[in-house]
Parts: sequence; structure tokens; C-alpha cells
Amino acid sequence: MDLLAQVLINGMLLGGLYAVMALGLALVWGVLNIVNLAHGAFIMLGGYVSWYLYTYAGIDPFLGLPLTAVVMFAVGYGVQRGLLNLIVRAPMFNTLLVTFGIDVVITYLAQLAFSADFRTINPSSAGNSIAFGAVVLPVSRLFAFGIAIVLTVGMWLFLLRTRLGRAIRATAQNLVAARLYGVDPRHLYAMTFGIGVALAGAAGGLYGTVSQINPYIGAALTAKCFAISIIGGLDNPLGVIVGGLFLGVLESLTALYIGSTFSDVASFGVLVLVLIVRPNGLLGKAA
Amino acid sequence: MKTARTMLLLAALAVLAAVPWFGSDVLIQFGINALLLAVLAQGWNVIGGYAGYASFGNSVFYGLGSYGVAIAMAQWQLPFWVGLLFGAALAVVFAVLIGMPVLRLRGHYFAIATLALAQVMAAIVSNVKLAGRNVGLVLPPLNNDPLFYEFSLLLLVLATLTVYWLTRSRFGFGLIAIRENEEGAAVMGVNTTLYKTVAFAISGVFSALAGGIHAYWVTFIDPESAFDIGLNVKMIIMAVFGGPGTVFGPVVGALSLSAVSELLSSEITSFAGLFFGVVVVVAVVLMPRGLADVLRRFRGTGWRYFGENIRSHQL
Repeated sequence: MDLLAQVLINGMLLGGLYAVMALGLALVWGVLNIVNLAHGAFIMLGGYVSWYLYTYAGIDPFLGLPLTAVVMFAVGYGVQRGLLNLIVRAPMFNTLLVTFGIDVVITYLAQLAFSADFRTINPSSAGNSIAFGAVVLPVSRLFAFGIAIVLTVGMWLFLLRTRLGRAIRATAQNLVAARLYGVDPRHLYAMTFGIGVALAGAAGGLYGTVSQINPYIGAALTAKCFAISIIGGLDNPLGVIVGGLFLGVLESLTALYIGSTFSDVASFGVLVLVLIVRPNGLLGKAA
Repeated sequence: MKTARTMLLLAALAVLAAVPWFGSDVLIQFGINALLLAVLAQGWNVIGGYAGYASFGNSVFYGLGSYGVAIAMAQWQLPFWVGLLFGAALAVVFAVLIGMPVLRLRGHYFAIATLALAQVMAAIVSNVKLAGRNVGLVLPPLNNDPLFYEFSLLLLVLATLTVYWLTRSRFGFGLIAIRENEEGAAVMGVNTTLYKTVAFAISGVFSALAGGIHAYWVTFIDPESAFDIGLNVKMIIMAVFGGPGTVFGPVVGALSLSAVSELLSSEITSFAGLFFGVVVVVAVVLMPRGLADVLRRFRGTGWRYFGENIRSHQL
């Protein structure tokens, strides 16, 4: 029973992190109609930015997250403005292919620049944990979970309340009308993609504190983020939290009862099942 | 005109077939790899180019074909051709089992649902005792590169003939109709589920046969090499670069990109991997319908061709 409780807690802590990973992908998909296959690669890059900030400048990975996010925002803005804006109106397969190519390029450059070694960001707080009876809560995971929730809720409020957030939602609903109301779509698309990549970068920094990063983690993470976005739906960041928690718990339970090599199989199975039964997401509007 | 073109093709084929008699060992080995990649690109062309269902998981079939041959030869001591048939049968079964649910998904949902297939299969296979778990299997060696070369060439010819048949058969027109407008195709009486599943299976069989030949050639497979995600990258990029939905595009794309990649990796080792990523980005932005379309239209429009492609798709 204690073991089950511990596994459930671990799954939920992991799930919060998954949610913030998927947030950027869902935002870019929902607004720009681009499924960014390089999303996992951006998460990986964010992890390395955080790792370098911590290892060479001594900046705590949690305090350094805003800096990581700013760096990654600039990367994202540049990629959208310089490249993706050129093909935004092409069939979706083309944007898939281009982001796929970006993924290959980033992964390859990362391998050259950072080597294939596994890295972990290990701040001094990493070993601490809080015990509730037999259930143990590692402090760094708890921190990562808390920040993930704050980021997701913050994203939700941003889209709902701020001028830029409203412009983004207006563009997602009707590009032509938004243009008539004075929105510059080139800039706005780049801002949206930049925010998506900044979120990926922050998620990467958090991921680096609870797991290992190397240049090849991107593809698997992209697939997970995609599964979460599908489960949660694209309408609402809060759906992404539910999707993330669901996947985190599911993977932990699979690892406990079937074997850890099967956790990817489980998430894929759920993805296909959800796509077939409810193509707009578990929480989305019925098809 | 038509006979001239056929003669030219036959001549090119004869030169390719003669490579083992005049080429060096290195050239033959390069040839085997390039031809097998061309088979994969051509196989992808059936489902991705003609039916318009871009599969990012076709390397699963390659892996199944590899394991089919490896299990038949290493575990059951059966001859090579039985292994090939076994691998192809596995591919068909898999295409139907996975295709029935996944092919119900439209375009990009299908593409991404297949993205994780290779990883999932690698995870499953590394737990199967018959497949040697994550250690892999060792096949009896056969030191005869020219034979493997001719096998690969024969397979590529078969794959290309199959795609040629698509351009003039009811089945092929059905697939193109599905690509252009699936609802429309269904209304016109095309059994879309059946057509898509058969296309997926044809695509899978050729990938599996290529995997089987490759497994016997390198005499060793493990889950990681058999279900290599990098192969998906290559086959899609090659098919798209050459021209998806054309008979010779994927072959030209595969052979030319293999050659450039080989030259690059011998000159500047570290940039060959980067090459494929850059090629797909540049190709999709400047020539989204592939080399075949450039050749057809470039004479009329000149350099404006590339500008027009950007203008029609930019924000």
C-alpha cells in the first residue's frame, strides 16, 4: 500500500513536469497550427542552458530558469521569424517536415557541442526530502512540480487577461480578422513560437534537475508532449495539466506493475486510444 | 520519345547491375546501402507519396523484416528466403493490426501517431526471448557482397515497378483520390479503409524485405539497430527531396543524397549527420514538390520557381 502511494506521488510529481513540457507544444499547435517536432529538442537545449548556467556560473537551476527562458525565447523568436513564417500557409505535412529537420539539426549540433554524455543538474538541495509516514517527497521534484504548476496557471492567466494573450487567442481564432484589428501576424507568430520555446526551455531546466539529459532525449519527449496535448486538448492550458498528471501516473504504474521498459508502450497505447475514441482530447469538445 | 526513354532506363539499369564487375569493394558496399535506402524511400512513397499518409514509423517494418530473417536463420536454422517471407508476413500482419486503428486518423494525426512506433517496437522486442532480448541475434555469415548487391537492385526494381503500376491502376488512382480528398474518394465509391491498409501493407513489405537483406548482409542485429529511428529520417527526406508521389523521384532522391552524404562523411566526418536535416529544411521551403517538379517546371520559370514557392506559403 505504501509502495502504491509512493508510486502515485512520484507519478504526479513527474506529471506536473510533463505538463509544463507539453504546454509550449500545445500553445504553438493551437495558435499557429504547427505541430513542432523540434519541441523535444528545444527542451533538451533548455536543459543544457540551465546546466551550463549552474556548472560554470554557479546559478541555482531554479533561480536560473527565467534566464534560460529568455535565451530560449530569443531562439524561438528567431526560428519562427526567419524560417517557419516562410511556410506557415503550406500543408501541415510541410511544417511537420521542416520542424523535423530542425530537430535533426539541433540534435546533431548539440551532440557536437555538448558530447553524448549524460548530464544531471545537481543543486545542493537535490538530496533533501520530506517524509510523510512511509511516503518520501524529494525536495527538488517537489520544487519542479510547484514551478510547473505556477507556469501553467500563469500561462492560462496570460492568455486570458493580457493584451498580448488576447491577440494570440484572436489570431488563433481568425487570422484575417485579427489582422484587420491591427495585429502584425509575423511578429505575433514569432512571439507565440518564442513563448512556446521559452516554456520548453524552462521545462528542460526542470527536467535536468530530476532526470538526465543528453542530446538524444528530444524525440521521445516530443512524442510524450504530443500525447499529453492530445489527452488534454488544445483549448485550455489547464487541460494540459490533467494530461500531464494522467501520463505521469500511468507511466509510474506501468513501471511498477509491468516493467519500466513498457512505460513508453503504455503512453503510446493511450495516445492511439484517445486519438481514435476522442480526437479532440479527453477534455475537448466531442468530435 | 517513349521508347527512347525506356531504352535509357534499361541502359541505366544495366550499368547499375554491372557495378559488381567493375566497382571496388567500397563502391559495392556503398551501393548496397544506397539501394536498400532507395527501396525504403520507394516503399514510403506508396503510403506517404501516393496515399498522402505520411508515416513516420516505417522503420518498424524494416525492423520486423530484419528480425524475421534473423529469427528464421539463427533460431530455426531455416534458409534465407524463408526468413524473407516470414519477415514480409510479419510486416503485413503488423500493417493490418496497427493500420486498421491508426489509419482512421487524418493526415498529421496519423503522422505523429506513427512517430513513437519504432521506439515501442524496440521496447517490446527487447523483452522477447525468441528475438534474443536486448542482446540481439547473430546470423550465419555469407561473404558475397556482389550477391547482396544484385538482391538489393532486384528489390528496388520490383518496388519501382509496383509504384509504376500505381500510376496506371484503379488501386493507384484510388490512393491519389484519397490523398487529394478523402471524403470525395469515399463518395466516389473508393473503399478508403481497405485501400489505405493495403497501401500501408505494400509499403511495409518492401521495407521488411530491405531489412531482411540488410540483416543477412551485416550478420548481426539488435533492437536498437533494427528499429533505428534515423532510418525514418532518411527515407522520408530522400522521398520528399526526390519528389513524393512520382515513380522515379524517391529513387533519384535516395541515390543522389546517399552519394553526397557518403562524400561528405569521407571529407568532413562530422557534418554528414547535419546534412540531412539541412536538406529537408531547404527542400521543403524552396521545392516542396521535390526534384521531379523542379526539373519539370524550372525551364519555364527559371529561378523565379523558388521565389514563387516561398511566396505562396509565407505568412
